[in-house]
Amino acid sequence: MPEMETVVGLEVHVELITGTKLFCGCSTAFGADPNTNVCPVCLGLPGGTLPVLNKRAAEFTIKAAQALNCKISEMLTFDRKNYFYADLPKGYQISQFFYPMGTNGDVEINIDGETKRIGIQQIHLEEDTGKLLHIGTIISSPSSRVDFNRAGVPLIEIVTKPDIRSAEEARLFLQRLRSILRYLEISDCKMEEGSMRCDANISIRVKGGDNLGDKTELKNMNSFRSVYKGIEFEVARQKQVIKEGGMVAPETRHWDESKGITKAMRSKFVSADYRCFPDPNLPPLDITKEWLETIKAELPELPAARFKRFLLEYQLPVYDAEVLTNSKELSDFYEVTLTYFNDPKTVSNWVMGELLRLLNAASLEIEKCNIRPEALAKLLKMIDKNTISGKIAKTVFEEMFESGEDPEVIVKQRGLVQISDENALEDIIFQVLENNPKSVEDYHKGKKKAMGHLVGQVMKETKGKANPQKVNEILKNKLDN
Amino acid sequence: MDFYKIPSQKLAGQVREDPALLDEIFAMLSHFHNEVEDLNIFILFDPENIQKEMTFLKEKIAKGKSLSLAGVPVSLEDNICTENIATTCGSKMLSTYKPPFNSWASEKLQEAGAILAGKTNLEEFGVGCRGNSSFYGAAKNPWDQQRIAGKGAAAAVSTLMLPLSIATDTIGELRQAASYCGVIGFRPTYGRVSRRGVIEYASSMAQLGIISRKTSDLAAALEIISGPDPQDPTSLKGEVPSYRASLQNEEKVFKIAVPDNWDQAPGMEKDVKECFLEQLHNLTAGRVQVEYIPLRYFHKAYLAAAVISAAEAFSNLANYDGVRFGYRGEGKSLQDMYIKSRSEGFSSKLKQFLTFGALVSSGKHYEDYFLKSQRMRTRIKNELADCLERYDLLLTPTTPFTAPLAKPDTEPDQLADPALFYTAAASLAGLPALTFPLYTSVKRPAGLQFMGKAGDEASLLQISALLEERGISLSFPNPGSIK
Repeated sequence: MPEMETVVGLEVHVELITGTKLFCGCSTAFGADPNTNVCPVCLGLPGGTLPVLNKRAAEFTIKAAQALNCKISEMLTFDRKNYFYADLPKGYQISQFFYPMGTNGDVEINIDGETKRIGIQQIHLEEDTGKLLHIGTIISSPSSRVDFNRAGVPLIEIVTKPDIRSAEEARLFLQRLRSILRYLEISDCKMEEGSMRCDANISIRVKGGDNLGDKTELKNMNSFRSVYKGIEFEVARQKQVIKEGGMVAPETRHWDESKGITKAMRSKFVSADYRCFPDPNLPPLDITKEWLETIKAELPELPAARFKRFLLEYQLPVYDAEVLTNSKELSDFYEVTLTYFNDPKTVSNWVMGELLRLLNAASLEIEKCNIRPEALAKLLKMIDKNTISGKIAKTVFEEMFESGEDPEVIVKQRGLVQISDENALEDIIFQVLENNPKSVEDYHKGKKKAMGHLVGQVMKETKGKANPQKVNEILKNKLDN
Repeated sequence: MDFYKIPSQKLAGQVREDPALLDEIFAMLSHFHNEVEDLNIFILFDPENIQKEMTFLKEKIAKGKSLSLAGVPVSLEDNICTENIATTCGSKMLSTYKPPFNSWASEKLQEAGAILAGKTNLEEFGVGCRGNSSFYGAAKNPWDQQRIAGKGAAAAVSTLMLPLSIATDTIGELRQAASYCGVIGFRPTYGRVSRRGVIEYASSMAQLGIISRKTSDLAAALEIISGPDPQDPTSLKGEVPSYRASLQNEEKVFKIAVPDNWDQAPGMEKDVKECFLEQLHNLTAGRVQVEYIPLRYFHKAYLAAAVISAAEAFSNLANYDGVRFGYRGEGKSLQDMYIKSRSEGFSSKLKQFLTFGALVSSGKHYEDYFLKSQRMRTRIKNELADCLERYDLLLTPTTPFTAPLAKPDTEPDQLADPALFYTAAASLAGLPALTFPLYTSVKRPAGLQFMGKAGDEASLLQISALLEERGISLSFPNPGSIK
């Protein structure tokens, strides 16, 4: 059998954090009671369907298109995509069918130490649908309920070219995309809450071939991990089908997270003919050069640029720069800390080590963290000045994380200031030597390890506050003379 | 007091002076309503609501508010939303629907002190003008009850019961109905009156229009309901001209064009043709010059409009699925529920129209029908713009025939109704148009249709006033003799 390769294209839907819906003033807040964020427009009531465009949503989409290096349409137009479904109030979805906001862009990902471009076919703006609620599964539920809170929430759809060659590339692409959109502050991209959703078109073909094989569309992947696992599984399944001499059936498949498999979905009652036509209620708007320039001027530094800058400006290792710049908030935190304590590598170690460890353990976002950059810098300065030891600092850091208290206050209240005073240390060491004649004897017999035991005893006596360098110095001096 | 003889502005003045007049107006409305009940003009005539509005108006007058239509009874077509008042669109689908909001037009009229006299009958969802699809039966023509009125709104004004009616004009239904009933019918420029709260079937053409017997009433009402509405993205921006003031211009010379093939409509009635020619002859005097011009695409307008309006209707009416409001047929599955709700909630006429719309916008026919019609629309738009650069107005008959006989609903409709032959072009191009009554020798009215430049409602009002002044005196069936 010839060598096969995986071909994946992604369709990513991302909800925009505009605060209000795409064509009415209803709130887009997540988790409100069912059907409380609704009005005649987003419910599609007779006589209540005139849409008024939320300009912010258009600007957010233009921002995204610019950040993804797309060519931007000259006109802002909307079309109706007509189909019947219970979660679609008007019987049509307002979308950009004929003139998507952006086309022909790309995103860079780093894989195995190399940079690869994933092409973006198009990005367009549309309204989200409502949500069907069931008791148990859709089959077993005695009825369907519809929640229209989500109906009309602005959504951008990003469609990649079939440039993705593995589940890992898909995962990296999604992460980079999320990172870009979060840098732009246009979406929170939470897959668990559905504010970022991803479908994958998957096929395999003879390596290097021009034609695409029959594809399946994989849905219901609710985390980065399940995108990875779903694609892995589906690729293996398709290879098996072909190995056995079969054909891949073009169909929509469902990722079953609990079983770790993909299943063919029942065909949904949706007409395949969407009868798209320009929405007569929304006259075309010019996307002027001035408008584009104004928006472009507001674009923040994006992850790829910040990554390169961190390498150059702070001389960080690639890994550090990547982890830090993956999140705008984390790299902002890092850079603000540096303005108070300018030691890039030390700060990076603390942010990537202690801070990320505690955040992950608590499943907390950096924005919600109790520790502010000034406080971390203060702590690092205290280590630098030998006011506390590095080990004590970690304890203090944990307490800062819990309470948000100032490190100096914690150190003072708990008496954690390092003992560097030689006279005080000499007294303690004298006492330790008195109490441990065996260790002193061992040391003099050449067992240098005994020294460690003695240092430990001093630390125990001082509850860890003794300056370890000084203790070593004095002990060695005393033992050797 | 014969209220119907008094211009609305004057009546409003009298009501402001003496709010007790409202009780007389109420009595007159009740009396008239009794007289014309057989005509099936109203879907809703609610004396209690009228009295409530009058009480409210008295309070407003007492507070010294300036109300230009104080006490003037005006009807709204039953596809114009009125808060918590049934708005049925003449359909079983919405027979129990009470919108939780007001339309722009009902708000503006209420602010001006007008009294909502009732909700008028219409073809189901305003589609067509053949008197065969309203769930509530057809509105009958006051001139001849065997014939259709086209719209309850036109009949209401024709019987002298109301000075003004507000209704929708999509491909010309309002102008046709006004022509059938012998009253003035006016369609403003697309976007002049906000479509907010109007349940329309073809958004790219639907406009609210006005039916009246007097040009001055028309101008007064137009001023009230016009204006930019930020909640309608197609609403025209900029200030609304003073239409009443424009009527003071008595110097204006009108250059009027008539398409040289104006009489080529299918089903053209001999009477209408003769009557039009005669008026054309009478018109050409003093301030009016008439010239024949060739128009290449005008006569295709009704075909293009039929296709586009049906395609839009299929989409506009897709929200009637039984899920959130309106009629619901019980079904075992979602699809079953859709099929039952729409099969049972819509009339066969409407379903025929929607099926046509689904067909012409389907992938298979999109190019040949929908796109072709859209291209034709562009040509017609350009042709009319070009013509109206050289002429003030374009003139045709309003309909090729006088009010048709009521047709049994078993008889199939033509998908592109010849009744739209003259009216469709202004709708496609978004131009303002006015129909002025003519009286044929068979004693049934017809109409002269004038089309104007986009945004130039004033010229249409001026020509209407000129015709009024020339004593093409309007005659109306005697309300007392209707029964």
